[in-house]
Amino acid sequence: MAALERAEPGLRGLPWVIAALGAALAPHVPFLPAWATLLLVAAGAWRWAADRRRWLLPPKWLRVVAVGAVTLAVLGTYRTVNGIEAGTVFLALMAGVKLLETRGSRDLTVLVFIAYFLLYAALLRDQRLPQLPYLLGVTVFATAALMRVHAGTAGDSGRDVLRRSATLLLQALPLALLLFVLFPRLPGPFWGIATGDQARTGLGDEMTPGDISDLSVSGEVAFRVRFDGEIPPPAQRYWRGPVLHEFDGRSWRRPRAQAFPSQEVQYVGDPVDYQITLEPTDRPWILALDMPAAWPEREAWRTYDFQLVSPRRLTEVSSFRLRSYPQFVAGTDLPLSLHRKGTQLPPEGNPRSRALARELAARHGGDPVAITRDLLTMFREQPFVYTLDPPKLADNAMDEFLFETRRGFCEHYASAYTLVMRAAGVPARVVTGYQGGEFNPIGGYLIVRQSDAHAWSEIWVDGRGWLRVDPTAAVAPERIEQNLVRALAADEAAPGRLRDANPLWLQVELTWDTLNDFWNERVVRFNAARQMNLLERLGFEDPDWRTLGLGLAASLAAFFVTLSLYLAWRYREPPRDWPARLHAEVARRLGKRGLVPAAAEGPVAYLERAEQALPDLARDLAAIRQLYVDLRYGPLPNESDLRRLKHLVNRLRP
Amino acid sequence: MARPLARLRSALDARVQAWIRRRQGIDPDPLRLDRRRIYILPTPLGIAYAAMLFAMVLGGMNYGNNLGLGLAFLLVSLGLVVMHHCHGTLSGLRLRLAATESGFVGSEVGFGINFENTALAPRPRIELGVGREPKRVVDVPAGGTATAELSVPATRRGRVRLERFVVATRHPLGLFRAWAVVHCEYAAIAWPAPAERGRVPPGIETDTGGAQEHAQGDHDFAGLRPFQPGDSLRRIAWKAYARGQGLHTKQYAGTDVVSHVFDWDSLPALGTEARLAQLCRWVLDAHEQGEAFGLRLPGVTLEPNVGTAHRERCLDALALFEVSDGRA
Repeated sequence: MAALERAEPGLRGLPWVIAALGAALAPHVPFLPAWATLLLVAAGAWRWAADRRRWLLPPKWLRVVAVGAVTLAVLGTYRTVNGIEAGTVFLALMAGVKLLETRGSRDLTVLVFIAYFLLYAALLRDQRLPQLPYLLGVTVFATAALMRVHAGTAGDSGRDVLRRSATLLLQALPLALLLFVLFPRLPGPFWGIATGDQARTGLGDEMTPGDISDLSVSGEVAFRVRFDGEIPPPAQRYWRGPVLHEFDGRSWRRPRAQAFPSQEVQYVGDPVDYQITLEPTDRPWILALDMPAAWPEREAWRTYDFQLVSPRRLTEVSSFRLRSYPQFVAGTDLPLSLHRKGTQLPPEGNPRSRALARELAARHGGDPVAITRDLLTMFREQPFVYTLDPPKLADNAMDEFLFETRRGFCEHYASAYTLVMRAAGVPARVVTGYQGGEFNPIGGYLIVRQSDAHAWSEIWVDGRGWLRVDPTAAVAPERIEQNLVRALAADEAAPGRLRDANPLWLQVELTWDTLNDFWNERVVRFNAARQMNLLERLGFEDPDWRTLGLGLAASLAAFFVTLSLYLAWRYREPPRDWPARLHAEVARRLGKRGLVPAAAEGPVAYLERAEQALPDLARDLAAIRQLYVDLRYGPLPNESDLRRLKHLVNRLRP
Repeated sequence: MARPLARLRSALDARVQAWIRRRQGIDPDPLRLDRRRIYILPTPLGIAYAAMLFAMVLGGMNYGNNLGLGLAFLLVSLGLVVMHHCHGTLSGLRLRLAATESGFVGSEVGFGINFENTALAPRPRIELGVGREPKRVVDVPAGGTATAELSVPATRRGRVRLERFVVATRHPLGLFRAWAVVHCEYAAIAWPAPAERGRVPPGIETDTGGAQEHAQGDHDFAGLRPFQPGDSLRRIAWKAYARGQGLHTKQYAGTDVVSHVFDWDSLPALGTEARLAQLCRWVLDAHEQGEAFGLRLPGVTLEPNVGTAHRERCLDALALFEVSDGRA
């Protein structure tokens, strides 16, 4: 039966290849559909068992059906087999099908190639520093699997194979680094990049009470900032994100339509110049220091509500040079459309908050500043608590918060405050972003983490424009002056609590972060401009692509020479003692006269033959033979004999 | 369609090989493979690897993904390292003809090639073959030797020549194949295929007892002596073996020492090859029976004797009978 082919028993390297595929696939698992993961695990386990138990491999028609089914399933899920998401799933499933029909070293090699490619796809997804050890580990492992498939001696232990694989890669590393630095970088992309919708931590364009406190639990880095001059004081470190205008009684939203007239900004005081490097968020938002005043053309623009936005989503680590003015007067003229947007409220809901607003407005004749003062005093003096773990709120969320639970995070305070201001007829909006940041003295930059996520409010005051009001500062001034950990109750779990309490751990974390920053700046964001910059610093004047070509050629040549020398050393012959070396020299010299030692001819026999063949040299040769015998077999080999032998050999002129 | 093309290709190949042979001459034996005679090219898998790396570099450029590019460059560099290792595995290997193995026409003759590795590093996965496809794979340990046999089908009686063979390796990752073509002049002997059984051997000359001092015959059991290679299987004392006493050969002494002489002239009815085939059959049968036999061909006479060496001498004489060969 041709259809039922029995696999080669104990296919060499198969367990290694399956393991390498698994290792390369592991980081994709959270992104794979559950059925795909299950199928792949099943395929791997089945093939492994089939190899051990020598089961029959599936017939060809079944494999063809499997390929068809897999293709349809991927198409059904993603509508394409292209792009990182669908492509990865498709490739992984093809590897699974290939696994079923694996018969020889060629199939296994193809599977290792797929493992390399899956690893590559994982790097496309995420290229942060922790990926580096993963990359190196899987590469060593997959290469070991390849070596196992094509391996030499069967008795090699797994550790030997891993060590040899690591040795090969270590030898490959220098050239890889040179290629990385010198290979010409072309400004991409050459074809469209379809990025999937991935959930990454970061600010959204909507805020419901609880969102920011969820975000704040994460200690992940949001962005890093390197200032040219002094770092502004904590109270000025408001990193402006999405501005939320639309309120439905519970959630605040960024308007979908962005067609509003822009407003004028006057800058006051000294500017702050800095470079901000953002971790990927899949959103276009650039968290500039409030108020952004200058930004690179074409890479960013400022919205009507003063948020800095990139024209594309930030799917990679991105960096921008910006200038901001911490003091400013913004939007003294308020267009009607914005006024309407700034006072919009749902027709009903939160009646007690509205009543409070009406009462305050009546008491102060609608003066926004006075109303604000009263509200902040209320937050400060009444038993409001700043906490990461506020109670759940029901329908009239803001009423419940203001008059009953009184426990909330920044978004509760900002939301309640803005609602009351709007109900009092004052244009107001919620601004989300980050506040504060931690200075890293090792790397000399500011780290802003997700736990620094914050929400505050802006109100519009006639003649003074948009004013920032941060109700959180009234409840928990430590949040603004220091950080989240200091602002929370001591028994509340919060990210960075360990860092705050333990100076040694703080050092470890800051060092790790400095490494990450270095990685992001020097490796992840390496591009054509930085390449030329690096060459200039290495001493090349006015480098261009010819410099790169020259550098590449020189690197390759040096690499090849080094490698050849290494291999010559590796395959060197064991050192021989002096008599043997001198005899080899005699044989070399006599070779010119056509006397070559036969395969089984010892030195003595050879020299005796030579004496007869070459009468002119017979005396010297006899002396050489005698000295050789003395040195090799004599009871007391001595130095002077060796010197005489060397002399005689050197004198030999056949 | 494919047949004439393949024939054209093999004809062309033969021409090229002949030209190389004329140009390069016969290699010495023993031979040390040096870098000048080793060729290296990527295998189909190596080409697939290169294509994958090309896609990786392109994708890395497109996505501006430096870590992906880093992986691609690491693998490119790995490929180049492996190329050098592949070449180094072969470079400096010494080889010589260890032994030839004769065989009957219709089966195969063998050329035992001995590999010697004088270096401190092992040379694994050395492939030996006549064409591209490896026939044997051996690992040559550091400072050691290994032998692999190259089998060549014996199609005609006489000397089977081996004019070239290929030593290659794909070590360590199978991405490259380094190879060297060795031009040699080895010959093994192809014995004539034995004829069918049936024709009775000609007259038995019987020596009288005592004429031979240690005559061995069939009739009277005279004792056991330890088994020696070449002894007939029929004379092994299996009962003694079964008792765990080791392999012994039964010895007989007798007045009748069976001693055939197989004569070319006793088969006048047959053609040359048929005669040789028949003589071959008789030689084999007599040897198997443990009987002494001699051979008489025009110009060649081998006196009756026993043993494996004698059998091979006789078979060689049959194989080389009237073989016209300039170089023989």
